[in-house]
Amino acid sequence: MGGSVSKIMGKIFGTKEMRILMLGLDAAGKTTILYKLKLTNQDVTTIPTVGFNVESVTYKNVKFNVWDVGGQDKIRPLWRHYYSGTQGLIFVVDSSDTNRMEEARSELHKIINDREMKDALLLVFANKQDVPGHMSPEDVTQALQLTKLKDKLWYVAPSVATEGTGIFEGLAWLSNNVKTQPQK
Amino acid sequence: MSISLPYRSADDAGGLPRLSPAPSLLHHRTPSSSRTSLRQPSLANVPATAALFPKPRKCKSQYPRDSSERHVEYILVASFHIDRGPIMEHQYPTAISGDESMLAELMLPDQTHVRSQDWTIFFLHKDTSADADDDASISSKKQKKKKGKRRAGDGAQSTEGDNREVEDSTEAEDSSDDEEEGGEGPPLMYVLNLVNTKQDNTVKRGAVVKAMAICTRHSFLHIYKPLLLLALEDYFKNPYPETLATLYNAVNNMDLSLMPRLSLLERQILQASNCKDMFIEKFEQMIHQRLLEDGAPPDDEDDPPSPKRQAPPQYALPRDTHEFESKVVYNEIPIPVKVPTVIWPETVGDFSLIKLIQTFSAPHNSSPQAFPVHPHLTTSGPFTHPIIVLVNAMLTQKRVIFLGHNRPSGEVAEAVLAACAIASGGVLRGFTRHAFPYTDLTKIDDLLKVPGFIAGVTNPTFANHPEWWDVLCDLPTGRMKISSFIEPAPVTEGLLYFQQQASLHHYPSSSNTDPSGDNVFMEEIQRSITNRYGENAIRAKWRAYIMKFTQLAAAFEEMVYGASNLFIIGPNEELSPESPSGVQADPLDPTTLRGHGYVWPDEGAKQRELLASVSRIEGWRTTRSYYSFIQDIAAMYYPARPILKPDLLHHHNRLRALRLSAADSGAIYIAFAHAVKDYAGICQLLTITPENQAGLFYISMGLFHPYPPVREATVELLERIAAHPAGRHFWAQLNRFAKLAFFRIKRERDAAAQSSSFGLGTGSFGPQSLVAVAMGDA
Repeated sequence: MGGSVSKIMGKIFGTKEMRILMLGLDAAGKTTILYKLKLTNQDVTTIPTVGFNVESVTYKNVKFNVWDVGGQDKIRPLWRHYYSGTQGLIFVVDSSDTNRMEEARSELHKIINDREMKDALLLVFANKQDVPGHMSPEDVTQALQLTKLKDKLWYVAPSVATEGTGIFEGLAWLSNNVKTQPQK
Repeated sequence: MSISLPYRSADDAGGLPRLSPAPSLLHHRTPSSSRTSLRQPSLANVPATAALFPKPRKCKSQYPRDSSERHVEYILVASFHIDRGPIMEHQYPTAISGDESMLAELMLPDQTHVRSQDWTIFFLHKDTSADADDDASISSKKQKKKKGKRRAGDGAQSTEGDNREVEDSTEAEDSSDDEEEGGEGPPLMYVLNLVNTKQDNTVKRGAVVKAMAICTRHSFLHIYKPLLLLALEDYFKNPYPETLATLYNAVNNMDLSLMPRLSLLERQILQASNCKDMFIEKFEQMIHQRLLEDGAPPDDEDDPPSPKRQAPPQYALPRDTHEFESKVVYNEIPIPVKVPTVIWPETVGDFSLIKLIQTFSAPHNSSPQAFPVHPHLTTSGPFTHPIIVLVNAMLTQKRVIFLGHNRPSGEVAEAVLAACAIASGGVLRGFTRHAFPYTDLTKIDDLLKVPGFIAGVTNPTFANHPEWWDVLCDLPTGRMKISSFIEPAPVTEGLLYFQQQASLHHYPSSSNTDPSGDNVFMEEIQRSITNRYGENAIRAKWRAYIMKFTQLAAAFEEMVYGASNLFIIGPNEELSPESPSGVQADPLDPTTLRGHGYVWPDEGAKQRELLASVSRIEGWRTTRSYYSFIQDIAAMYYPARPILKPDLLHHHNRLRALRLSAADSGAIYIAFAHAVKDYAGICQLLTITPENQAGLFYISMGLFHPYPPVREATVELLERIAAHPAGRHFWAQLNRFAKLAFFRIKRERDAAAQSSSFGLGTGSFGPQSLVAVAMGDA
């Protein structure tokens, strides 16, 4: 019922639907971001994701279907199965985990070099900006070598997932840049 | 007098398919059923003496006490490591061979972090070469037996030798081990897995996820559920191998040795019956034997100490012979378990066909969605019932995925197991072996290498990959999808043949909106469910459906190709359209009644029904289940058909489906009375007269036949059935009317015999040679 009403509204106001894939190393904060999006004002405590989570979030007339996939290195090869049809990639990095920044860079480049991801927008959350010793968004941009990317729309948003800071700004960037392609 | 097949051989009796002859198979199997040498499979010729059914020599156990086979082979524990993902923590008694991390991934299903408890089932294809280290002795034994088996096919000489060898060695029971290795390779290892997620603020990242699994070769693995619950709880407290060992020892001490082993036919009868004391005699005999053994000094010290033997033995008969009640003592807690007496092939765990059917029927009934048409699948057009689409998909070996997003993985596993059972009907094989009750993305590459898999997943990303499947069954919505990537059905010889026929004869097919009868069938199934017929009744109906499908396929092959692989025609039967059913080939032998296969009321009905099923039959004819079925037919020929002539099923169906002339029906009754004499023969007759299909009703109609000799032959037949351990239940269910007729005819016969024996035979049926001959014999 509610679904059909919003479908009609969507036809009138041009609601967009966007498939988002959220990846990143383990313990970067993906699940926290997902549930902070979903349950805006609540505290979120998460445990390691076994497999994946998927939730729909509507924000500024855009329905985001966000896939959050577990990040342990052994299960990273599975990420590719989620690529097809993905319009936006959210890559979450733990800005305080400077030791693993190189690992994060290599994983990120593997993803966006995949054929199926070539048209996807790239949003990077430089997460855990509240942890002492964190890197700034600019440092993260450097470390991930984003400036090297050609033909890619990307954006780095600083965030503190546990408090909910920064994540809706990131989402706003996605909704402003997604190509208008009304869904059936 | 039973040739009892070793336990679960129906599963795999394709054991030596390439050596066609069943006789040697029978020879080989004989020793496993009875220790005395039973050389000839001369079941049909057993003299019908006063002791019509001599007590079986010795009842064998399905799970003998001295068997080297353990109930449970491995206990595993895995956990989700916050840095490394799924890891294996402990394995007992030894490491199970194979990919450890793959196992750990299966044990920790997707999204297990969102629920506190989840069950899964998965299968391991464990080949014997891999367990060389731990049970080398067993596998080498099997090797030896296999060689023996191969030799057995070469000739009777070596078979005899083998028999003796097997008899001399420990116990013949062991030979059943290798029976399980059907034509499809080593037996599956079934894994029942329990995973718990416990929130715990004292550990890093706030939760502990652990899973414990039991690996067994028994397909009734669900009985272990309460034990896993207890043991995993213990493991959270004591994460050491000792916890695994306690469970391992407890389950392997379960005593099932008083469960009798039943023959193939006996199992079919028991399964189709609702009688709670069917074959209770066998259970009595097991206890009797045990008491005798107990009286004698114990000669088997190396037994695992069974709880029943420590206490003064109190052997109780089962309340329902369909189940055997035992118990597992875990940490001094006795946990009652019920083990099914009969397990059909392709029946694993406990699942509900009713649930599966309801899940996909409700949305279809309220708002049917059109399928894209595919000849193999949508056999009743775009609005074919989804369950029929599913069964067609499995029969024609399509790739089927059950998706249950946000559902426990145990739920998708159950759906997969139910789908296997529905397509198998306990008749066909090759589904569970290619089933993945629960799997996830990590196995996708391996999964895609399996043609025609049936898999259960919870990850909705599978829905976004139609190139991975042919049919997607979404459990939460109860909708099925046919993939846009599905391979089109090839045009085949049979299809062309039928199209030609149809255009030649113009059978009025357009008038019939349901030529395959599937719509009616599904309505009937749903009505039965609404009327609370119960799971068993529904399974029996599907069994009949699949049986009928194989019979249709056989008729189809005979029609199109002139012969069928799916049916071994009896002696003195000719395969030609000019050999009509019901003709007695040998005028001196009433059992030489011709005819076999499915019975249609008329040729038009046959053409219509076959035409409606041509595509799926042709689709089936290239699949694994088709080839396994051919193997089974060869292997089962003697065990399942002690009466080779006449074809009891065919002629019983003629009684049911056709309006026969008195002479025709009389010939059937006389033939039955002549053929069905011994224990196994009556068993065979009872398998085609199940309770849910009117039981002995059509047989009893012979009591009202116009020809007196037919009536008397029917009385004799029913007398034998009533004295039969299983038959007596069928007799008891016969209606009063028939019973009254029975006693009246008996009285008349006895009276006639007393006065004089000349009165007989001068009746009005003189010209009926069949009957006259039958009388002379009687």
